[in-house]
Amino acid sequence: MMLSRVAAIAASLVLCAAGTAVAADNGSAALVVAPLQLAQARAASVQVPEASRFVSNLADEAIASLSKKELSVPERITQFRSLLDEGFDIPQIARFVLGRYWRTATPEERAEYTKLFEEFIIQTYAQRFGDYGGESLKIGDGSRNGDDDIIVASQILRPNGPPVKVDWKLRPEQSSFKIVDVVVEGVSMAVTQRDDFSATIQSHGGKIEGLIAVLRDKVKGGTETASK
Amino acid sequence: MSKTLYRGGFIALALSALLWTSGCVVMDTPEKVEQVQETNDPFEPMNRYFFDVNIFLDEFVLKPASAWYQAALPQPAQDGGRRFLANLRLPWTAINDFFQGNMPRAGEALARFAVNTTVGVAGIFDVATGWGLPQHDEDLGQTLAVMGIPDGPYLVLPIFGPSNPRDALGMAGDIYLDPVNVLATNKQENIHFPPYNHDRLTWVPTARGFGEAVDSRARNGQAIDDLKKQSMDFYATVRSIYRQRRDAEIHNRGEPESTYPQPRLTETPDGKHADVPAAAPTQAAVPAETPNASNASPN
Repeated sequence: MMLSRVAAIAASLVLCAAGTAVAADNGSAALVVAPLQLAQARAASVQVPEASRFVSNLADEAIASLSKKELSVPERITQFRSLLDEGFDIPQIARFVLGRYWRTATPEERAEYTKLFEEFIIQTYAQRFGDYGGESLKIGDGSRNGDDDIIVASQILRPNGPPVKVDWKLRPEQSSFKIVDVVVEGVSMAVTQRDDFSATIQSHGGKIEGLIAVLRDKVKGGTETASK
Repeated sequence: MSKTLYRGGFIALALSALLWTSGCVVMDTPEKVEQVQETNDPFEPMNRYFFDVNIFLDEFVLKPASAWYQAALPQPAQDGGRRFLANLRLPWTAINDFFQGNMPRAGEALARFAVNTTVGVAGIFDVATGWGLPQHDEDLGQTLAVMGIPDGPYLVLPIFGPSNPRDALGMAGDIYLDPVNVLATNKQENIHFPPYNHDRLTWVPTARGFGEAVDSRARNGQAIDDLKKQSMDFYATVRSIYRQRRDAEIHNRGEPESTYPQPRLTETPDGKHADVPAAAPTQAAVPAETPNASNASPN
């Protein structure tokens, strides 16, 4: 009973592409505001269906390149890494996940943490695609969420069990998008990860170095098993 | 006899008071105070203890049971079992919809129950979804939330798992007030339909609960094990997931669109507790372009 709630969410992690690319917002802090806003407003209405297409293409790429059983572990990791960088904005996500501790972190800590965060995500999720068992992703409509973000709804259709709802949160980035967050059955992966990291930092007396050390261990342990 | 009960009750009360006070976070530093304010988990030590107890129970009771279940029954039988249990939840769902003021959904739940119990043979086959009556679940905890009762501090209950005072009360209500449980645990006689008569079947609520747990674990076990491995602090991860999930359930976010129009909740009864608004104070320190957790319905 404890797990029935966790279960509903966790099940989708099988196919959850972890890379969260955040399309940095169109930073052209314009000299001429009004035409820019007009252009953005026009672009906004065009963007929503494009966002759905973006997710759809990324998912197809992921399934095509990652679910091949004969892929070796280093190959899978390389493929996953390139998909991650393509579709997700790791630095932005890493920053969100660190939460309020980002503010008090030194630049060295931030850099090391961001690097380790990416490795952690890759290791955690790259192997999942090897367990691919005939699930398919049905992309639904996109909708606006606030000024910049677009949410694309989708469902993972599984052979055993009801479909799993997955929402993709995207931000426009230049001519494309980057994913900021993945929400599975109402559970945000970024928020969950942030709570996990936050508790870890607290258990190390509020020191970010504690989290970095744990991440280092996890990443190192993962690389060792991966190269076996 | 009543004296023994009084004494026993007093001892239980004393023990639980001891457990609660010793299981509380000692808020002796400002960091601790801030931590408890942020996570609303003042009973964290006690919760972590029960969390470990539950993991133990999962490992030694639920996991073997679900492995047996998966080995003994073919997939279609497992699916039928899941649908049978889901069907039994519908009458109580309808009652809760009613008390939430959501009449269309209450009607839909009842209609689905009627269709699947008859045409779908005791709910084993899901005919109703094709007729525009999808499954949805409501419980007393959600109804209390809709009525505006805030959730309160995080609690991990032995066996039952992550919860809070409101949802724990709701769960007790779910077990004792569910029409199916009520009918089963009361002797039925003198009904015009003789096969309907039975003695008190007190095992029914427990059997349902355990059955649902086993089925759920069988379907999601691998993902749960992965989550355990990947988390740094599995307890904190589960706490986060539980609260987000509960929030989504209360607001009926992402549930299949009903064929019938229905009212949508706009306020958040315990909104200041959901993880999303809790991001607000931390984001005051971090510039605005950090991603927010999505709390929008996909529709």
